[in-house]
Amino acid sequence: MSKNLFYNHAVDGSSPHELLEAADQPSIDSTLRLPVIILFGNAIHWLVVASFLSVIVSLKLVFPSFLGGIGFFSYGRLAPVARDLMLYGWALQAGLATGLWLMAKLCDRTLVNKGSITLLNSLIISATVIWNLAVLLGSLSILAGYSTGVEWLEYPNWASAMLFLSYLLIAIWGVLLFERKRKRNAEVAQWYLVAGFCSFPWVYGTANLLLTWKPIQASAQGPIQSWFCGSLLALCFLPTAVAALYALIPRILGGHLHRSDLATLGFWMLLLLGGWSGSARLIGGPVPVWMTSTGVVAGILFIIPVSIIAINLLGTMRRCTPQADHFLSYRFLTMGLYSLIVLGVLCILCSIPTVSGALNLTGFTEAKYQLCLLGVVSFPLFGVLYLALPGLIGRHGWCDTLIERHYWLTFTGLWLLFCLMILDGLFTGLALDDPAITFINITSYAYPFHLLECVATLFLLAAVVTLGVNFTVTLAGDYLFPEN
Amino acid sequence: MGTKPLSPWLIGAFMLALLWGGLYLGFNSGGFRQDVYESDAVSWAGGGSAVQAVPDPKVIGKRIYSQNCIVCHQANGKGVPGQIPPLVGSEWVDADSIHGDNHLVLIMLHGHQGPMQVQGQTYNNAMPQWKQLTDDQIADVLTYIRSDWGNNAPPISPSFVTLLRKESESQTDPWTQQELMALPHAMCPPSASGTTPNASPMAPASK
Amino acid sequence: MHRLPTLLSGIFLVFLTAWLGLVAYPAVQLGRLTPVADADSGASLPPLLGGNAVAGQRVYASEGCIACHSQQVRQTSITQSDVTRGWGARPSVARDYIRDETAFLGSSRIGQDLSNVGVRQHEAAWHYLHLYRPSSLCAGSSMPSYSYLFNVRKIQGQRSEQALELSGEDAPKPGYEVVPTADAMNLVAYLLSLRHDYPLPEAPVKKNAAN
Repeated sequence: MSKNLFYNHAVDGSSPHELLEAADQPSIDSTLRLPVIILFGNAIHWLVVASFLSVIVSLKLVFPSFLGGIGFFSYGRLAPVARDLMLYGWALQAGLATGLWLMAKLCDRTLVNKGSITLLNSLIISATVIWNLAVLLGSLSILAGYSTGVEWLEYPNWASAMLFLSYLLIAIWGVLLFERKRKRNAEVAQWYLVAGFCSFPWVYGTANLLLTWKPIQASAQGPIQSWFCGSLLALCFLPTAVAALYALIPRILGGHLHRSDLATLGFWMLLLLGGWSGSARLIGGPVPVWMTSTGVVAGILFIIPVSIIAINLLGTMRRCTPQADHFLSYRFLTMGLYSLIVLGVLCILCSIPTVSGALNLTGFTEAKYQLCLLGVVSFPLFGVLYLALPGLIGRHGWCDTLIERHYWLTFTGLWLLFCLMILDGLFTGLALDDPAITFINITSYAYPFHLLECVATLFLLAAVVTLGVNFTVTLAGDYLFPEN
Repeated sequence: MGTKPLSPWLIGAFMLALLWGGLYLGFNSGGFRQDVYESDAVSWAGGGSAVQAVPDPKVIGKRIYSQNCIVCHQANGKGVPGQIPPLVGSEWVDADSIHGDNHLVLIMLHGHQGPMQVQGQTYNNAMPQWKQLTDDQIADVLTYIRSDWGNNAPPISPSFVTLLRKESESQTDPWTQQELMALPHAMCPPSASGTTPNASPMAPASK
Repeated sequence: MHRLPTLLSGIFLVFLTAWLGLVAYPAVQLGRLTPVADADSGASLPPLLGGNAVAGQRVYASEGCIACHSQQVRQTSITQSDVTRGWGARPSVARDYIRDETAFLGSSRIGQDLSNVGVRQHEAAWHYLHLYRPSSLCAGSSMPSYSYLFNVRKIQGQRSEQALELSGEDAPKPGYEVVPTADAMNLVAYLLSLRHDYPLPEAPVKKNAAN
């Protein structure tokens, strides 16, 4: 088996007393096994479904009569379902699985004490069932015509409440772990994980309360909805991904983080600016001008935390080379880092008022969202998945060829999709700026890009199917060829 | 572990960025009031105040022309001899006692088929309809062709186009010259102030 | 920040800054905007929505029109293009949305901006036809057909007043007519009510562009 990345006191540890104590405590991996596998398993399942729906949705954009005339499959209902499945089905569950696994490894503690394992497992199973029911039934409700109509919050109220509660039941374990950590001083990755755990209830709860559960007057809903979109990505998903980068990249390289004081500064700046990042969507919108200006400033200053993370990790990477046996995961992690750098540059561009005026509300905004979700957030989560599962099931299990295929298919799909959306945004944005160009002409300019975007979504579907097959075969192998 | 202090360049860059952020917010936030929607500082979009710029219809019309009409009627408005009638000095464009402003607008709306006499020459080609353009766009492009290449006829107003569009709703096929000439001659009212969001087309070019 | 309570307080305080600016402030300030009286007629602005239009908002929400359409005319200090394109007489402001249940600001313009569609297309018949067969009105449009919001039924005695005027291969069989369902009627009533062309104190409309 590959060399252990994390200091494990039970193996490497000091006193015989500790070793004895450790002997009849469950290993960290054994307490993590059920939660992480169940969360990742469900997440991958929704990822496949969401990717499939994304293909259908892109096809419907270029062939409006495809599956046309049927309410259940109309574009306006399928597109939010696909997006919500990516957000709440894949990214949030995989993020929780990553968070729990990383936190346990970094704190060098089991998820719970021996006596509470059954309680933990039953709680996690119940919470996961409720969560996935909420996602499934919520999606079906949207398709049946019961969407709330608020972007990214289309699930009916009962579904979002179920999601909220089940999240609390799972995330609480990760937060409590921090208090039990073995070392006195926490590292930056652990802070990021705590922030990631705590932000979702705050962000999701506030947004739902004010926009869907007891909606306030619509004049105020625009800023709140934009705050929600920005915070969900920058405060709920991004910290977990960044924690994975900070925790794993130095360890795979066998070194230390380049500058941890810089990392501390980056942590606070990311939390501060992440909350304001949503206001970039409001530039030019029906809000007082100070909110537009805030959007400009927040978008441009976002480069500060991004550059801190980049300097830190690139500095670490420059000095060492990765161990061969973790190379496949390492590649996913570094691709997440590079996507983050591109995202930072894009945020600056999108926030310049003239550029925003031309390119906001076009494919440019969509490109930023796809880069963030598929690149910055998903790549590190894949990296963690490939690293974590062997330890949890006690053998390597993964088919390395399929991991390679997954990587290259996602790489191609993501960057192809990204470039196409950027170009689409540029063309349509500049054309919209010219009042002489009729709107139907603009639709025809965008057509070839939308057509090629179908191809990109097919690449992404192939990638996630590869992952799904690999995951299933690996787990099934555990049952087909059980080891002690 | 790096124990040397953080690079001063890096700290300097961050400080500069934060300073810029603060200054930008200070100058461009309209005093943080909730009823100020337009920045009163010079904005990067160029333009200084909240007053909406009123675009010149001839400038827009020229762009519409170069997007849609130039293929047949050419950039110099002279058309193709024997095939596409010219717009330069054309009695259909400039209007006279027989050809009215309404005929010009109707040709734009529904197209033309069959033989057509322009400046003594006969042209027998098909002009497609342009009713998918808005009233403003049709008015702007007609205003443009009436003011370029030596043409000098009064502008067409969007409300005139709206009126004619409504009156000719039942027309499905492109006009023939005979059908058009059967319609009474009508001119665009000179003092139309325009009921559409864009500017009065009677205003002289202000740019 | 190595103890959980300290870390949590720090995180809470930092989150609070953005929350105060982007959530609390709008909820308190923008969320309490009231209608104003028209200087000329004394009518309340923004105008009240009729009953059908209110129901139509729910149809707009459930059909996911926001996936392709925005409803905001952007400020002219950022871009002139929305106003010059004729999508609105003036930029939209927060007060324009106080009659709505949900602010459908939108984030994507695959389709046109709809904040003033009631000004541009003020005939219900156009909207019904557009919803039923968008391609018959705009060739090459990416808008899907909402034919499931309509019923094809046998003509009972006389043709219904609301029956769509269809021709060619869109037309139903002889003896049949296409009529809108209640959802379609409500949706069209809502679309017809979409207009931000009245003046407001924070967003005056230029005199020669007033309707």
